Amino acid sequence: MRDRPISRPTLTRRGALGAGALAASSALAGCSSPLAAGLLGSELSPGTLVYWNLFGGGDGGRMKSMEDVYRQEQGDPSSLQATTFAWGNPYYSKVTLATVGNQPPDVAIAHLTRAKPLWDGGLLEAITEEDLAGVGLSSADFNAKAWQAQVTDGKNVAIPLDTHPFVMFFNRAVLEPAGLLEPDGRITDLSGIDTFEAALAEISAVTGGIALAVANVSENATPWRFFWSLYNQYDGAAPFLADGGTSITVDEEIFSDIMHRVETWVENGWLNRTLDYAGSQTEMFVGNAGLYLQGEWEISTAQSIEGLDFGMAPIPTLFDRPATQGDSHTFILPRKDRSPEDRARAMGFIASLLKQSMTWAEGGHVPTYLPTFESAEYTALLPQADYASAADNTYYDDPAWYGGSGSTFENTVGPQLGLVQQGTQSPEDALAHIRAQLDVYLSTPSPL
Amino acid sequence: MSATAPPSGMKGAISAAAPVQRPARPGSSSGSTFRIVSAIVLAVFAVLWLVPSLFALKTSLSDNGTAALGAAEILQDWSPTFYSYATLLGAGDIWNWYLASAITSILTTVLTLLLASMCAFALSRLVFRGRNAVMLLILLGIMIPGQVLVVPTFQMLGWMNLLNTYWAVIFPQVPAVIAVFIFKQFFDGIPRELEEAARIDGAGLWKIYWRVIMPLSRPVIAAVAVLTFVGVWNNLMLPLFVISNPDLMTIPVGLATVQGSFGQRYADIQAGAILAALPLVALYLVFQRQIVEGVTGTGLKG
Amino acid sequence: MTVAAAPRTAAGTSRRGSGRGPWLFLAPFGLFYLAFLLWPTIWMFIASFFHTSTVRAGLGSFAGLDNYTEMFSRSDFWSSLWHTLQFTLYTVPPLVILAFVLAVLTNRLRSGQWFFRLAFFLPFILPSATISLIWVFIFTPGTGLWASVQDLLGPTPAAGMLTDPRTAMIGIAIATVWWTIGFNFVLYLAGLQDIPRELYEAAAVDGASPGQQILRITLPLLNRTTTLVILLQIIASLKIFDQVFLMTAGGPGISTRVSLQLITDTAFTDNRIGAASAASVLLFFIIVAIAVIRQVAESMASRRAGEV
Repeated sequence: MRDRPISRPTLTRRGALGAGALAASSALAGCSSPLAAGLLGSELSPGTLVYWNLFGGGDGGRMKSMEDVYRQEQGDPSSLQATTFAWGNPYYSKVTLATVGNQPPDVAIAHLTRAKPLWDGGLLEAITEEDLAGVGLSSADFNAKAWQAQVTDGKNVAIPLDTHPFVMFFNRAVLEPAGLLEPDGRITDLSGIDTFEAALAEISAVTGGIALAVANVSENATPWRFFWSLYNQYDGAAPFLADGGTSITVDEEIFSDIMHRVETWVENGWLNRTLDYAGSQTEMFVGNAGLYLQGEWEISTAQSIEGLDFGMAPIPTLFDRPATQGDSHTFILPRKDRSPEDRARAMGFIASLLKQSMTWAEGGHVPTYLPTFESAEYTALLPQADYASAADNTYYDDPAWYGGSGSTFENTVGPQLGLVQQGTQSPEDALAHIRAQLDVYLSTPSPL
Repeated sequence: MSATAPPSGMKGAISAAAPVQRPARPGSSSGSTFRIVSAIVLAVFAVLWLVPSLFALKTSLSDNGTAALGAAEILQDWSPTFYSYATLLGAGDIWNWYLASAITSILTTVLTLLLASMCAFALSRLVFRGRNAVMLLILLGIMIPGQVLVVPTFQMLGWMNLLNTYWAVIFPQVPAVIAVFIFKQFFDGIPRELEEAARIDGAGLWKIYWRVIMPLSRPVIAAVAVLTFVGVWNNLMLPLFVISNPDLMTIPVGLATVQGSFGQRYADIQAGAILAALPLVALYLVFQRQIVEGVTGTGLKG
Repeated sequence: MTVAAAPRTAAGTSRRGSGRGPWLFLAPFGLFYLAFLLWPTIWMFIASFFHTSTVRAGLGSFAGLDNYTEMFSRSDFWSSLWHTLQFTLYTVPPLVILAFVLAVLTNRLRSGQWFFRLAFFLPFILPSATISLIWVFIFTPGTGLWASVQDLLGPTPAAGMLTDPRTAMIGIAIATVWWTIGFNFVLYLAGLQDIPRELYEAAAVDGASPGQQILRITLPLLNRTTTLVILLQIIASLKIFDQVFLMTAGGPGISTRVSLQLITDTAFTDNRIGAASAASVLLFFIIVAIAVIRQVAESMASRRAGEV
């Protein structure tokens, strides 16, 4: 009896709930909404290609316009969903966790040196010649060095979009008075250690300060790129890491030679003692240094500086052979359930972007897609074409589950090398610290 | 502070304003100086505390070009624009993130309220064997730092096939042991006589819980609800690792990881920061009392 | 904690939980408790003895104590602990002292308390993502709000607050103090409002200045609150992750990387769940130890309060 007045609202509430549930389930029946995916785990927007990348700044803008071209080709603005994440370890964690969690993107960008560990972890699908042929590509369309570098266990694990070598920027206003410019504005041949050191001395005389700017403060990657470039210019330089990262095989003699030379250059006042990433650029931009070493991608920044007359060239061959540190941006296919159509669509997207390599090359990266690389248009693109040969002499970081661009390895080794340049530790101490800090990774079984 | 005596006129003015029960005696003169200094110090700190939010608001109302030039330009710019808000709200991503935040926050809150209060009801009102063991487990649970469990939680969710669903954010946050404590404490204080009438009518346990106890517990329900909601909305770590699909991210995670729509567009970034907080600010203004009481309740008595 | 009040319930008035009744009420919460609190804790201990991988199914090979010895021998494990401690040292004193001062001052106001409550407490309810985006922008090197204020005061250091390893943690600490002071502030305010006004009046009659009143009445009576605030603050600081992840990502270098970040990096970047579990267990013990201290302090305080 007493229940009645109370239970009536309950009934209506229950009715409302029922209606709500009905409405909800009919909304879910649409099935491509985030709501359905979030609550039921259903696939989000089938028919849309999901693409992840890590490009910011100018690269980000160029990638966006390339994506737009793809959308136009498809005649459907919703044919592609592209998401940009901050680059570095968190990006690769996201790719890993998404694949482990069964919702990876259809196509993702990865550095070549990071694609290999992803492959080792069983997170990637191999790309076959048939996949390539299906969209009118073949392995012969790619820069041989980059293509060979991605092959792992005899499988194609990634399709390289570009090579991005460590290169040399120079300020013409400084090099001109130092007598280091050719009539056509290119830098004179600085091959050979003696020629190079003489040039450093001349540039220093012009700037009244340093000649060469290489970032070494709050920077992990640059000191490593610097070292790995010079190290591989020695004939027969052993890998730094061998056997998938279980042993350090770096040639101590070469290591010591190079790092002592770095010390000497700093003592002579030719090379900066402490500059961070942005500072090292600024020094060259304003003419406090004639030369500046960094990845070619800084071309966009240099071009945006008003009144700066700069050129670019491969790192000069100081020792036995040309070599420079570098990596490639590649397309990967994360492991997921795909129909043949899904697979073809993913390959079609990759092919579309590869064919827009010219747009991509403007940002400085050397295209691996040979039809673009060999085109007259690219050869005429300056200063890009001036350093393009560096791609063929690129040395990738040694494969290791903790290695690659922006990895634990670079983050461990780089700072130690940076400290040598700062003059706060000897090359021998640096190597000892590197060994000690890498020890745990060497002795740990790969989790992949 | 008390050493300098204020001019007598001022002293009179302030003590006149004082409540009657506070006798104007020696000592209150230094008291009024103290009050003035206090007010000044407080005002300075209040300004310091308001500046960051207001600066963010100001930046979000600038255009991206101005914002890129730096603080001085932002502060001197007097042409507010809603461009950044329009861009973000027009892009779509943020609506998905709002949806994820709203759904996970609401469902976690509802589940926590229901399950924690039922648990607390049993512990407060019922006698059964194993009760002490349960109390001990709950007591243990309160000491387990949830954040430290992110790695095994990720694994659990993987096995349950729940990664990249809203449930991955909801389920691990449901067992909020502190909520059981708050409920139990409140239930313990409800006089038993109120249940008697229902009991004489032959009402079952559920009816007593649902018709007698819960309606009497509105204040504590509100406090737990608001705190749970805020906690889930603001959680970064759990959704950061269990949701990798950008369409399903909660708003803090989306803002923190997805760069696509921003680049170096500072006005957009600040507008995003404000949009992420807006629902909470609204919630705070409505439920100010419950939030503050909830915080003091959990802080002091938890 | 008034858990001890339980026996009262045993009186005849309460329903005897015959059979399933009580368990039906406990089970739903219990299920979640077991699945998402207790079992992950146990699993964390188990996995810490194995080479468990993030990308491979199963536990992996048995590791014995390898993961633990590894953590103890890793300099970055110790440095992450040190950074966590550093953060705690930077934030706890201002968060406790400043919150106390602001609360005492606010409490003496006759009007306008709501305004200060709003000003100091509002940041506390903002998401960490919001406060981090705000403060990273404020700390923009050269042109940010912080640098502009520094400019007014004198020449600015070129490096930004967050890009210099020497100041990055200070920057994070400043943002954190701004963000969370409201919590302690309202705790103190609540404690202050429990102090009977008559005590101050009596002291005023005896000629005690406001400063003396604070020293002799407020501070001792808020002892319990202070102990709690400090311990809560330490526990919260040990669990720091969000601000560091969002503001510096542990950088420059690893100069601000904290324990929880080392754990998530190990698990989700290195893909080593086993090693990450071992680090989790170690952090778990540190936090639980402080939580236990808190319980003990709490019960001692309430016992003392009971005696008085």
